[in-house]
Amino acid sequence: MAVISVHDIIKSYGHIRALKGVSFDVEEGEVFGVVGPDGAGKSTLFNILTTLLLPDSGTATVLGRDLFKEYLEIRKNIGYLPGTFSLYPDLTVEENLIFFATMYQSSIRENMSIIKPIWQQLMPFKKRPAGKLSGGMKQKLALCCALIHKPTLLFLDEPTTGVDPVSRKEFWEILGTIKTQGITVVVSTPYMDEATLCDRIALLQEGTFIRMDTPPNIISSFKGELVTLRTDDIFKLLRKMADCPLNCTFYPYGENLHVIFYDPIATILPQFEEFLQQNDIAYDNLMQISPTIEDCFIEIAGSTHP
Amino acid sequence: MKVRLPFRHQQAQESPYSIVVKDLTKCFGDFTAVNHISFEVRKGEIFGFLGANGAGKTTAIRMLCSLLQPTSGNATIAGYDLATQPKLIKRHIGYMSQKFSLYDDLTIFENMQLFGTIYGIPRKELKDRIFSRLENLHLADKSKTLVASIPLGWKQKLAFATAMLHRPDIVFLDEPTSGVDPIVRREFWNLIYEAASHGVTIFVTTHYMDEAEYCGRISIMSHGELKLIGTPTELKEQMQVDSIEKVFVKYVVR
Amino acid sequence: MKELQQILKKEFTHIFRDRITLFLVLAIPIMLVLLFGFTISTDIHHATISVLDLSNDSQSKALVEKITASGYFEVVSYPKSESEIGNDFRDKNIKLAIIIPNEFEEQLTNEKFVTIQIISDVSDMNVASILNNYVKAILIDFTNDYNGTATMPIELCTQMMYNPEANSVYMFVPGIITLIMIIVTALMSSITLAREVETGTMRMLLIAPVNKAWVVVGKVIPYMILSFISTITIIVISVLVFKMPIKGSVWLLLAVCIVFMLTSASFGTAISSLVKTQIDAMMITMMGLFLPTALLSGFLFPIDNMPYFFQILANIFPGKWFIIAIKDVMLKGSGFFDIWLYMLILFLMAAVLMTLSLIRLDKRR
Repeated sequence: MAVISVHDIIKSYGHIRALKGVSFDVEEGEVFGVVGPDGAGKSTLFNILTTLLLPDSGTATVLGRDLFKEYLEIRKNIGYLPGTFSLYPDLTVEENLIFFATMYQSSIRENMSIIKPIWQQLMPFKKRPAGKLSGGMKQKLALCCALIHKPTLLFLDEPTTGVDPVSRKEFWEILGTIKTQGITVVVSTPYMDEATLCDRIALLQEGTFIRMDTPPNIISSFKGELVTLRTDDIFKLLRKMADCPLNCTFYPYGENLHVIFYDPIATILPQFEEFLQQNDIAYDNLMQISPTIEDCFIEIAGSTHP
Repeated sequence: MKVRLPFRHQQAQESPYSIVVKDLTKCFGDFTAVNHISFEVRKGEIFGFLGANGAGKTTAIRMLCSLLQPTSGNATIAGYDLATQPKLIKRHIGYMSQKFSLYDDLTIFENMQLFGTIYGIPRKELKDRIFSRLENLHLADKSKTLVASIPLGWKQKLAFATAMLHRPDIVFLDEPTSGVDPIVRREFWNLIYEAASHGVTIFVTTHYMDEAEYCGRISIMSHGELKLIGTPTELKEQMQVDSIEKVFVKYVVR
Repeated sequence: MKELQQILKKEFTHIFRDRITLFLVLAIPIMLVLLFGFTISTDIHHATISVLDLSNDSQSKALVEKITASGYFEVVSYPKSESEIGNDFRDKNIKLAIIIPNEFEEQLTNEKFVTIQIISDVSDMNVASILNNYVKAILIDFTNDYNGTATMPIELCTQMMYNPEANSVYMFVPGIITLIMIIVTALMSSITLAREVETGTMRMLLIAPVNKAWVVVGKVIPYMILSFISTITIIVISVLVFKMPIKGSVWLLLAVCIVFMLTSASFGTAISSLVKTQIDAMMITMMGLFLPTALLSGFLFPIDNMPYFFQILANIFPGKWFIIAIKDVMLKGSGFFDIWLYMLILFLMAAVLMTLSLIRLDKRR
């Protein structure tokens, strides 16, 4: 049975349509990623699913319960980590955890097993006010507070935004251990590279899911031929590419340029090399590669993007 | 006694560097946030300033923008001395951050006018500059739109244009693309390249490691110290990995 | 119940860790009372007075001597009859007249009660009250010298002139209690509730399966306790320093205060349920509750003298009812059955506002 089942949820604020009809199911025990930029509607969707906000229309069940009628029951069994730091900065690490445990009629001792790996990292800072923790530690504490009542479903709203790559990696490792405890996780992120760590992802753009599938499926359904090349002056290359007569989409990707061609690679690649030589561009490492989720997002969103 | 200030100014103008930092240190109580960092940034260079959360990046940037008094050490920013000419520095740098960029309750034009006026751009000139920037961004017809109602990506591009209005020699960008979608992020970097090609020095922090690859040179801070500095290719070769992300992870974990 | 306990504990932790606010909340009432009490400098020297000595014996002369020697008063005229006193007020601009009755010494030795009459110029209420207190102190001293006890066989009969409806010089104490309660309960609870919205912790509480009434009650009780401490401080200072009388029951007085605290706290929660930021909460409480209460409750300006519209408007601010009630208890000695209506009004206001804010707080928007 689906843990979350959403049908055609619509939500507007004034004229702004934040969600334009979103439908999806989340299966038990999976890590479901909602991937999209700020303002795509991620937080609105999370606020609705965590029973804080009512949609204008649509139906949904969370943990088998109706989102509108049985929201009090839902609240008992979900954990929520909001996008902004939402703990008491003047209370210590321990005081925050005790407080939220009590709010869920639970106690630290009761559910220590769930948070143990994270809590051990926080132990040295037990007596420190939460406001004085580093960004990564704050997130870990918030995660502890969201898990302390042993929820069966966990919502993480952009847990890694503004967090450095090392802490981000650690955070995803922790999510892996949470998953092994049978907790279903719905996580949103603006970082495309994190999408591959989810079992299934939905690419959210301007209030609609432009794609929803497993990361390998999304990658395998990439329409087009992806080519990468390296050059020393990428800005120069970008300007030249603007005049490129070939049917392609191009964008910098790290130190490389990625080009998506929509014609068979065997015929297009020689033409492209010719173009580069004509324009006097020194390059190396020109080759066809398989796309990443970020390439897929650009390919899918690019066609609808202004 | 020699009159030194104008001389120093002129000398700096000839120097190929727009930022020269020497032994810059900042302590808060007994905590050393920035510990004797030294580096140079050439004019027109895109300099990436990376580091873990709490590594001291923000403190360092605040010192370079002369918002924070260093505990010791000094720097020359845009040819001006950090210790003695903070006002001149402020006039010649631009600043933009993800946390605060523009006033939501003002229109695009009002925001740009406000910041332009603060930097003393003459009224008529300012209007021309604003509209030429907006034209570049294809936003000229939106000048009367409230900033609150435009998407984040546009907002960040506008904030960048606003930070560039007074034609600064250096712009400091503190996580300018955090939370922006991949396409707009690349559009934003296009703007950065363009500015750099006109000789503007770009000093940028980011948590997107692919963006680090776009920089001419990058530095990695850890625990208040500048651990690594070099071009992305150099660093990758030095650490024998194939991406800056791996350099970062390898270095910061260590 | 465990949740409520934990919320209370958390709230007290907030309060005790924020030393500056705690200090202000506890110190402001004391400062305000003392400030109001001493606004007009108490160092009144050589106030001009008249003495009508009807007995003219050795004891009455000794009393007049003592009054002059205090340095506070300067006797500028010794009228011969009561009718002359009125002229002294007009012509000699005296602040006070003292009338010593016939056979002062004789009555005193017979340990009978002597009535000394004081007539004050109450066009400046503060000066009048201070001078009255001086005279009282001198009289106590005088009887002490006379028979070595503090029991006063002398009764003071004060007659107010030029401002016969001066209500009371003690008017400011009920006023200050009202304002302090609004600051501590309404302002602090609206600000701290708005802070929870601002920091996002309110969202965490809403999503938790905890009774929302506990959240609000747990938030409000600590500030009610603080405000109760302040109120008691004010009353103690008023009684000890300014000789404020409490003619009615102290318990009734405290009960009225508690009801008003509830009302005040409900206004605070209602305001916070409308706003999203601490600044908004503060501005609305100050502009929408504190200032109107200060101006319309009859504390600074008598309600009877206001334009009709404002007299009506004054009714919706709880301060008016509270001030009437405690004034009656403190000064008139009214009992519960005299003031139950005011208490009921305050209580109803509290009940309605608290219900509305709880509904609004728990509503999904």
